[in-house]
Amino acid sequence: MRPAKFGFGQPVRRKEDEAFLRGSGRYVADFAPQGLCHAAVLRSPHAHARFRIENAAAARGMPGVRLVLTAADVAELGFLPCTASVPDQTIAVPPYPIVANGEALHVGDCLAFVVADTLFQAQDAVEAIALDWEALPCVVDGRAALAEGAPRVATGRAGNLAYETSIGDAQATRSAFAAARHRVSLNLVNQRLVANYLDTRGVIGEYDPARDRITLTLSSQGGHAVRDMLCEPVLKIPAERMRVITPDVGGGFGTKLFPYREYALAAVAAKRLRRPVKWVAGRTEHFLGDAHGRDNFTLAELALDEEARFLALRVDTIANLGAYLSCYAPLIPYLGAGMLPGVYDIPVCHVRVRAAYTNTLPVDAYRGAGRPEAAYVIERLVDAAARDLGIAPDRLRKRNFIRPRAMPYRTATGKRYDSGEFSAHMAQAQASADWKGFNKRLARAKKAGRLRGIGLATYIEACGGNGPENAKLRLEADGGVELLIGTQSTGQGHHTAYAQLVADHLDLPPERVRVVQGDTDLIATGGGTGGSSSIPCGGASVAGAARKLAANLKTLAADALEASPADLEIAGGEVRIAGTDRSIAFAAIAKLPGADAERLTAQDVFVPPQETFPNGTHVAEVEIDPDTGAVDIISYVVVDDFGMTLNPLLLAGQVHGGSAQGIGQALMERTVYDAESGQLITASLMDYALPRAADVPAFRFETRNVRCRTNPLGVKGAGEAGAIGSCPAVMNAIADALWRAFRIRHIDMPATPERIWAAIEEGRRVHTL
Amino acid sequence: MNNFEYTRASDVADAVRRIASDPAAKFVAGGTNLIDLMKENVARPSRLIDITHLPLDQIDETQDGGLRIGALVPNSDLAQHPQIEARYPLLGSAILAGASPQLRNMASTGGNLLQRTRCLYFYDTTTPCNKREPGSGCSAIGGINRMHAILGTSEHCIATHPSDMCVALAALEARVLATGRSGERSIAFAEFHRLPGDTPQLDSNLRADEIITAIELPPEGFAKNYTYLKIRDRLSYAFALVSIAVGLDIEGGTIKEARLALGGVAHKPWRNREAEARLEGAPATRENFVRAAETVLREARGFGHNDFKIELARRGILRALAQAARGTPQSQADKRIR
Repeated sequence: MRPAKFGFGQPVRRKEDEAFLRGSGRYVADFAPQGLCHAAVLRSPHAHARFRIENAAAARGMPGVRLVLTAADVAELGFLPCTASVPDQTIAVPPYPIVANGEALHVGDCLAFVVADTLFQAQDAVEAIALDWEALPCVVDGRAALAEGAPRVATGRAGNLAYETSIGDAQATRSAFAAARHRVSLNLVNQRLVANYLDTRGVIGEYDPARDRITLTLSSQGGHAVRDMLCEPVLKIPAERMRVITPDVGGGFGTKLFPYREYALAAVAAKRLRRPVKWVAGRTEHFLGDAHGRDNFTLAELALDEEARFLALRVDTIANLGAYLSCYAPLIPYLGAGMLPGVYDIPVCHVRVRAAYTNTLPVDAYRGAGRPEAAYVIERLVDAAARDLGIAPDRLRKRNFIRPRAMPYRTATGKRYDSGEFSAHMAQAQASADWKGFNKRLARAKKAGRLRGIGLATYIEACGGNGPENAKLRLEADGGVELLIGTQSTGQGHHTAYAQLVADHLDLPPERVRVVQGDTDLIATGGGTGGSSSIPCGGASVAGAARKLAANLKTLAADALEASPADLEIAGGEVRIAGTDRSIAFAAIAKLPGADAERLTAQDVFVPPQETFPNGTHVAEVEIDPDTGAVDIISYVVVDDFGMTLNPLLLAGQVHGGSAQGIGQALMERTVYDAESGQLITASLMDYALPRAADVPAFRFETRNVRCRTNPLGVKGAGEAGAIGSCPAVMNAIADALWRAFRIRHIDMPATPERIWAAIEEGRRVHTL
Repeated sequence: MNNFEYTRASDVADAVRRIASDPAAKFVAGGTNLIDLMKENVARPSRLIDITHLPLDQIDETQDGGLRIGALVPNSDLAQHPQIEARYPLLGSAILAGASPQLRNMASTGGNLLQRTRCLYFYDTTTPCNKREPGSGCSAIGGINRMHAILGTSEHCIATHPSDMCVALAALEARVLATGRSGERSIAFAEFHRLPGDTPQLDSNLRADEIITAIELPPEGFAKNYTYLKIRDRLSYAFALVSIAVGLDIEGGTIKEARLALGGVAHKPWRNREAEARLEGAPATRENFVRAAETVLREARGFGHNDFKIELARRGILRALAQAARGTPQSQADKRIR
């Protein structure tokens, strides 16, 4: 078949953008059903404290207040579920109550849910609730939590260790290190982050007494999972008794995958009040109420032989999981541990992970979820090794890359890479970044009194496994098609991407493909959007359904045209006999006598056989002003292997956004808890620095794809990759600049001007050039 | 947030009458700082007197060739006014270095002078603060004081004045016109803001019954050799760690007149006449810049977290003087410092 005009690989513009640009997007906060009440949450000001609510009755009597839900008022509710597990580990999941019952475990912990006629009345009532506090000792740092004599995060828990696990062969790793010519070690912090989508979380609960059914309109990355985790485990109702609608969503980044307390409370309140109840987080509430990301302390060690070949990798990580175990939390450090060998042929490795409870917000999935942490560790460790051994970092990489002919390759942590040509994309990225010309640019910068550095990261990650995903395609009376799918766009452009996959088989322009998402009543099942899976899994099922529908339409048309289906072709919204002018339009097919619902509908389920492994090279070149410590990213090149490119515009959008997030982590973002009081110091955008336009460079983005061997579309998934390659590339560039100028070996994220200033002052003190 | 009354002043005399009759009232113009303070319960005015309808939004030339800027001219209009761009680019540059376009659209010229410190303890009503509650103590001394003052501090307060615009106004030797019950008066900019001393609750010498009606700029705007260099933790939407306004009049390589004012380092925009005098009559060389910087910072004192500001200010002064001398002022569009 000839390539469709709007099909796979075409730079089709986002069909969803016109609505957004015209202001007709509809987010949770935009909905205001008749009779709406508003809710506010009473949150703990203490990191760890016993409390008693003294005057809920007084709050209940305040103007406009309709309902105050404390722990006692929702005693029938179950705990928020933690659905993830770690192989060979039995984790005693501690209770994660919908409303904290007598003991608050982190600043922001939910103590009561107040519903009133107006938001201000609800907020006033929240302020009026008096509590009797008994502050308890707290611990906010993962390392401190596991130290001897650390305060208990929660009364009644056995300790602060959530679990300890290891991957790999400890004995073989020890032997390899003992015999190695070189040993390199590095301590790294992967700091805690806050997602900061524009569209903060929100929910509207509605109850239909006639059908005893709850409808939740909420901002999610997939309503089915949220429904299923809320219904049986928490609300103790069957899933059929709830409908979850997700309207337009302005950003998710993993953090909107999970059910949250406010969703259950809005459901309960709507049912009790028989009125719709709305809660939308403010910005500070986002910092205090949504799961955080990352937060690892890692010691990484590499053993090398005399030829600088990697012999063994040893990593010891403490992952701070917060006060409660959120949905997928335990799995994330484990996912990361599995990806630590990166793109290198490392015969043996041993990774130890200890997951700690602390008196902080729970940590869960955030763009990359474990893989950015892994890539950061291995890519900085390789650069440290290059510095220690006096070898160029690209040469050291090249010497140790897994060779293309070794594919499929099983890593020492058990991952099976299907494909990848790492040397090739590194070379392409270096050429695009004019790596060879760096010394000239360095000399010019030196003359101008500036430090200059160049760094790269050759990352690999594992994704595309969020399945199965089901796509249902139906020919409509007007000759267009409707696609029902359980993934959830949070801004990526699914409507456009899926329309392209439909176009490949039905040759329809994007506007004739109506994508329906975000309604559990309309769509039977859905895996949601996470783990860069919507194209690898959702896309594969859409393509499958489109192929089947095309066959159905040909069968129907064959009867009408009195031709063999084999002689038919589809083009421009009609089926015709190839090489003739005899055709039948889709709209006419829909009206044929034999065109029953079954024939006009096609469904396909894609079950991912294994994860996909996108990989690539990021090259960053930076200048540092030694007077202020400010970093300027002068140039930034990304060359990625995403298997196949469905839409280069959408793809660049994902890479730019992800890289900006990673640059934000590398240079600016940091979640700070006060060690003593456990207060969240950075709970606003004044205190938590997000990258802005001026902080982000112009990106040069290219692909060097190697078709994925385990995905029918050949794609590897692209949603998270930008955030995975960028942190190590930027930090390696900064480390390079500081090493060249002052022999500074260590700098942690975020490399703020203050930190760089301090490092330079220290470097000047001990090392005068 | 407390309940408050809202009234509207019909003219300047009416505004003065209204503020004089209620010591707990406050004028509101752009509201970009006051409303925040009210939300945080730091300011608890009984009444807001809306002055946005007063005819104070004009920019006119004065008889001596200077410029008179009405107190209600929005910051963004002021920064983009042709006279400012052509004759007082230092002022325009300082304004554009601050806040965000949305805030600058709302913020007024007079209000900018009266904005209050962003000291975290001043904002946190659960901690002692002499500025918020005189006599309660200063939490910043011995606390987290990274953003705090290094010059002109007292044992009662080490807060800084947050404005960028005021630093330029100080350098330009602007005057503040204020009207009260006893009529109009003109206040030299250096006399407008106060050092904390033992009355840190008072930011300025504006009397309780006075309203700022205008700012007057003298004719000399240093349009050829100037810069506003703002050093901050991130490139936009952050207060200055240190900022430097420089205006130089250079003839044949010799500095005839020098203006040098610092922001982010004291309770008021910081000028040091002695440092300026050291530059005047001297060639624009790095050695002379170093001497000027040393003079400015001779009395500087850190409080722990902000010790770095002394060195940062020194480097900033050198950079800013160099920028101004070579006629390459700091761009506020490409915010990277060159």
